[in-house]
Amino acid sequence: MLVLTRKVNEGIRIGDDIVVRVLEVRGSQVKLGIEAPDEVKVYREELYQKILEENIRATKADKDQFNRLKEVFKKK
Amino acid sequence: MIEVETTRFGKLKVEEDRIIHFPEGLLGFSKLKRYILLDYKDTSIKWLQAVDDPDVAFIVINVFELEPEYELKVPDSVQRLLGLEKPEDAVVLVILRVEEGKLIANLAGPLLINSQNRRGTQMVIENVSPKVYNMQ
Repeated sequence: MLVLTRKVNEGIRIGDDIVVRVLEVRGSQVKLGIEAPDEVKVYREELYQKILEENIRATKADKDQFNRLKEVFKKK
Repeated sequence: MIEVETTRFGKLKVEEDRIIHFPEGLLGFSKLKRYILLDYKDTSIKWLQAVDDPDVAFIVINVFELEPEYELKVPDSVQRLLGLEKPEDAVVLVILRVEEGKLIANLAGPLLINSQNRRGTQMVIENVSPKVYNMQ
């Protein structure tokens, strides 16, 4: 992992069009500003990870699970 | 017609115009960009089967079956990605799973699909958690 030390208001440029800037440091909390093109998706890591793990768990679904759910979601 | 190998349903023959394209894949499955939806007459849940991996299939449902008042704000960048022009062209599916007799719906990562061109993406919704429902 690349490790860089930055002060408040200093930033890091990733490629040509992404900038991550340290806006504020308070105790153990750091406020970051991120400038990136629209199509670059920026998420909190734990949120991304949570959805990714949900996806992986969901692919374990089998026909038994489907049949149980089918009872719950019968078409009227 | 294309043939799709699947673990759960054997070999499926589907019309090419039924394929749904996820240009970015789903989270954790970025390489799988093509899916098909398997519909049933007697239930509103469906399988979303990956075309390029026989093992990967999700149980999904239209969000309105779960949450009739559901609203989703679609950022401009996502509208562009999907070529989405009108709200009524948007279909929102939610991935379901069952754990310990409870239904877990991933409302934090809904699938948004443009029904006009069958392009889709998984959105990441801040401050929303997967929702747990009791099954009767």
